[in-house]
Amino acid sequence: MTDDGLDPLIHVPTRLKIVATLAALPEGDALSFTRLQDMIGLTPGNLIIHLRKLEEADYISSEKTRNGTVSMTTVALTGHGRTALDTYTQALRDLLGGL
Amino acid sequence: MNTTPGTATAGNGGGFDPRQAAVLLGQTTQQARRQFEPSPPWFLAIRAVMVLVAYGAVWLSVRGQHPYTHPTVAALPGVFAFVVVNLGATVVLARRATAGVSGRSRLSRGEIAIMAVVWIGVFAVMGALAGAGVSDAIVYGLYPAAVPLIAAGVAWAGIMAARGNQRASGTALAVAAVGIAGLFAGPAGAWAVAGVGLFLVLLGTAAVIARRQRA
Repeated sequence: MTDDGLDPLIHVPTRLKIVATLAALPEGDALSFTRLQDMIGLTPGNLIIHLRKLEEADYISSEKTRNGTVSMTTVALTGHGRTALDTYTQALRDLLGGL
Repeated sequence: MNTTPGTATAGNGGGFDPRQAAVLLGQTTQQARRQFEPSPPWFLAIRAVMVLVAYGAVWLSVRGQHPYTHPTVAALPGVFAFVVVNLGATVVLARRATAGVSGRSRLSRGEIAIMAVVWIGVFAVMGALAGAGVSDAIVYGLYPAAVPLIAAGVAWAGIMAARGNQRASGTALAVAAVGIAGLFAGPAGAWAVAGVGLFLVLLGTAAVIARRQRA
C-alpha cells in the first residue's frame, strides 16, 4: 500500500484505466487485447508491460486462443482484481471525503 | 499512442494525486460502460418514437372500423420500416459494443434458437388461426398487437433471469405486461396500448441506462 492506503498496483494511471475498463464488463467476461488497446490508447508493448504486472498479482487473467493461423489474446478481471478495485475505490472515497 | 501519464516506464504512481485518480476512474468507467452498452439511451429513445409512430399509424387506420377487419395497406410500411430499421440497427450496435468481448455477454446459440422459435411460432400460430377461420378482430387485431409482445417478452425475461440480468429481465416483463394490457383494449385499442406502452418502456429503459452510465 502507498502512504495514503492506495494499492500501488492500481494507483498508476494506465493500470487504473485497464482495471476500470475490464470492471465495466459483466463478471466472467473477457476482452480481446486489441479492443483493450484501442480503448486505453496504448502501444502493444506498453500495454503488455502493465498487463504482466497485473497478472502477476492475480488481478487479471489472460488466455491465448488459436483459430487456424489467427491467434487471439483475451484479458479478464479476476475476482481478486475486482475486489482490489472495490477496495481501492473505497480507499479513494475515504481519502477524498476526509480532505 | 501513449497519452496517459505514467505509462512510459510502467510507473509506480508516484505523484499521482488521489483527486486525479478519482476523476480518471470515474471517466474511464463511464466511457467503458458507454462503449460496452449494446442499447445506448439515444438509440432506445429513437426506437421509442419509431414504435409510437408505427403502432400509431396502424391504430389510426383501424380505429374507425366497425366491424374490425385489418390494418390498411397504407399503415403497414411504417410497421415494416420499424421492424427492419430496428433489427438492423440493433444488430449493428450490438456487434460494435461486443466486439472483442467474450463470455456471458454474448448470446448462446441455444438462447438465439429459443427466440427464433418463439418468433416463428407466434406467426405460425397466427397463420393457423387465419386458416381456421378465426375472426379478423383476433387474427389481424388482438393477436398481432399483443401476443408477440407477450411471447417474446416472457421468453426474453426468462433468458435474462437465467443470466442473472435483473434489469433486462424486468424490461422484458414490462413488454409482456404491455401485451397483456392490450388484450383488454379490443382489436383496435390493442394497437394504441402496444404503441404507447412500448414507447414508455423504451423511454424508461433509456433513462435507467443513462443514469447507470453516469453513476
